[in-house]
Amino acid sequence: MKSRRLEKIILYDEGVSDKLHVGEFAEYLQGKLGEVPVELRETPFALYPDKISDFAKKLASIKVQDVQRKIVPQNSPLYGEIQFEKRRIQGGTKGFGIIYDGLHLQKIFSELIPKMEHSLGFVHIFLTNRLFATWGESDKRYHLRTSVYGICSIISTTGLVEAPARPKEYYLLKSQYEMLGRNPSELKDRFKGRFIDYDDERLTEVTKGYVMQAVCYTLTGNPFCEDRGCRLYNAHWQEELIFAQLESEYEFCPRHSELLCK
Amino acid sequence: MEKFSPVGEKEVTRAIVTEFAKQFDEYVESDCIIIGAGPSGLMAGRNLSRAGKKVLIVERNNYIGGGFWIGGYLMNKVTIRHPAERVLDELGIPYKEVTEGLFVSDGPHACSKLIASACDAGVKFANMTVFDDLVLKEGGRVCGVVINFTPVSALPREITCVDPVAIESPVVIDATGHDAQVVRKLEERGLIKTNGFGAMWVERSEDLVVEHTGEVHPGLIVAGMAVTTTYGLPRMGPTFGAMLLSGEVAAKVALQNLK
Repeated sequence: MKSRRLEKIILYDEGVSDKLHVGEFAEYLQGKLGEVPVELRETPFALYPDKISDFAKKLASIKVQDVQRKIVPQNSPLYGEIQFEKRRIQGGTKGFGIIYDGLHLQKIFSELIPKMEHSLGFVHIFLTNRLFATWGESDKRYHLRTSVYGICSIISTTGLVEAPARPKEYYLLKSQYEMLGRNPSELKDRFKGRFIDYDDERLTEVTKGYVMQAVCYTLTGNPFCEDRGCRLYNAHWQEELIFAQLESEYEFCPRHSELLCK
Repeated sequence: MEKFSPVGEKEVTRAIVTEFAKQFDEYVESDCIIIGAGPSGLMAGRNLSRAGKKVLIVERNNYIGGGFWIGGYLMNKVTIRHPAERVLDELGIPYKEVTEGLFVSDGPHACSKLIASACDAGVKFANMTVFDDLVLKEGGRVCGVVINFTPVSALPREITCVDPVAIESPVVIDATGHDAQVVRKLEERGLIKTNGFGAMWVERSEDLVVEHTGEVHPGLIVAGMAVTTTYGLPRMGPTFGAMLLSGEVAAKVALQNLK
């Protein structure tokens, strides 16, 4: 496996869940990658105080309203939508639940990377609680994502909760609860531990694997591994995610262990 | 048994007409007109009145309270999620916690207490009255609404020729629920573009409704479920906390505008 040399890994806190201990990622990455410097940065918008309104407008323009309709960024989002994005950028709220187009979001975040750090040796990882989805050409609909990788990688803590599917029986019971007017959140106790939740203490540990996927993308051009026990496994189910990130007997498959040791 | 006062039909009619006309005349101009007397509209009106503002709530039905009388599936238990139980405490509405952070109350008790609280604060109502159009002035600013009696709108146009009337206020709140009637009227005029609500996502929609409550166009504040339609937010389930808190936020924004 051919790999690239890393110059620096930069992690940005773009309003993550309070349960995510970002500081632990630097220690983890240094433990795995040795001498590669790791820097933690707060909001990526801090460098652009004069452009907050522009970025707010751009973010308000890439919301997915209908998962079966591919978006074209709007030119004129509503005043209230822009104000909400401004409050988010300025740290006035961490409100989430809006779905953004993941590739457009990646493009906006990549504009926040300082020019001198636009280089293939840099790993830029944006940690956020924004929820995003990417358009599937095969079935013509959006799919929620945990992460998108590229020159700028984005990992969503909300995506970790919402994107990989929960056990099938959870959804069957949920629809029955909704039909009966019962609150489906009661099901959380019944399925406790079988999926990652918002206030989950396991969130930081799970996210470490996704941070490594972003690093692996920069190293090889492929963030994923086909081994279900490797942290680079692209989990589509919560049970797969929990196994790969927390329960597997090994952290990385032999091939990726070797790559990360180089 | 004590006898009722000897009052004739004409005195009864005169009392109704005089008092209605007096109030109507007084509220042709008010500080804030709220369209929709559901939980968010009532809460907004209550808080504005408590702050000393003159508030008129327009409601198309005879009854006040919107959907707050019943929860989901026509069952008259209403659910509220933390932190909105604070409002129930404030209004003296009894409730119990069914699971952590989820509270349930009797719909009739909760709704009647909220209505009473709004009335006690000084809110006035124009019920059986439909919102017909907006009054727009310089720069497209919303400065009032055009209203008519509800029965007029139920009759075929061919046999009715009842013109509406306009009433004014520097701030209007759209609390018409999913219909977002006032915002949609702006949309008809090409002044705004609504997004329609998304799929139901109870867990997040309440936070987003409160977060997005505010001025959507100069002079027009959007509150409650109308917020979801305006901004394309996830649709809410049968929980009312966001309606109450959205009403509070709408009142705060209106007070700032009225300064």
